[in-house]
Amino acid sequence: MNDDEGREMAVFTEAIKVPLQDRDAFLDLACGGDEKMRQQVVSLLKAHDRIGNFLEDPPSEASIE
Amino acid sequence: MAGFAAGTTRMSVEGGMLMSYVSVNHELHNMSDATVMLAAIKAGDSNAVEELLDLVYDELRRLAASKLALEPPGQTLQPTALVHEAWLRLVGNQTPAFKDRQHFFRACAEAMRWILIDRVRHKHRIRHGGGYQRVDFENLDLAAPVVENQLMALNEALDKFALKYPAQAEMVKLRYFVGLTNEEAGEVLGISVTTAKKYWTFSRAWLLNEMEREQGDECS
Repeated sequence: MNDDEGREMAVFTEAIKVPLQDRDAFLDLACGGDEKMRQQVVSLLKAHDRIGNFLEDPPSEASIE
Repeated sequence: MAGFAAGTTRMSVEGGMLMSYVSVNHELHNMSDATVMLAAIKAGDSNAVEELLDLVYDELRRLAASKLALEPPGQTLQPTALVHEAWLRLVGNQTPAFKDRQHFFRACAEAMRWILIDRVRHKHRIRHGGGYQRVDFENLDLAAPVVENQLMALNEALDKFALKYPAQAEMVKLRYFVGLTNEEAGEVLGISVTTAKKYWTFSRAWLLNEMEREQGDECS
């Protein structure tokens, strides 16, 4: 994991704690003009909001019969 | 260096049960002992990791097959129980050092992942670098095609993920393929449980995003 990736994970980790209405403002601050990273983090946040049980159930339980 | 505990014969067929697999021409040289391999891994021998992986993979397949042969159809396997049992069989009664346990679980995660992928490709023989011919068990069909596709998509996403976030990818493998908790996986990776949870949350979002992105690309 290089610096960019470290930042991406750090911004994501903080952003999920921020109330939804404050998220844009937080991202403006945290991404500081790095539009590419901002877009990526926004994608990740959207996925996070829909995460449900994704990967929580191990595959073998359901699939080995 | 002590060998396997008495009674754990690597090449034994569990309970005489039939297994439709062939393990051909694998050279069992003096590195076949799991404990010797683990020591070699600690000393930095990267080939030893491959060999341990082979050994673990083999053991888990045998266990999986023997358990399925014994149980009525439709039963499921508990991945964590399998891993623990494979561990006991490989290392016997010795108490492994923390490092050994770490390496073992990481190897198991890879092994479980490849067992599942193997089964998705079960119609074909897969040639393994070490000279094995792996034939999949006919009765280990996955329940539904959509599960198979998801697994393959996840696997691709995981490989991409590992390039950028190797520690986080390990976290996913330990949780998803081995069934460890955040606490257990954190211990294996040498990170705090807080960090482990952060890794897990981030990883799930990243993988879901990547899988959906890939799916979107395919459909467009």
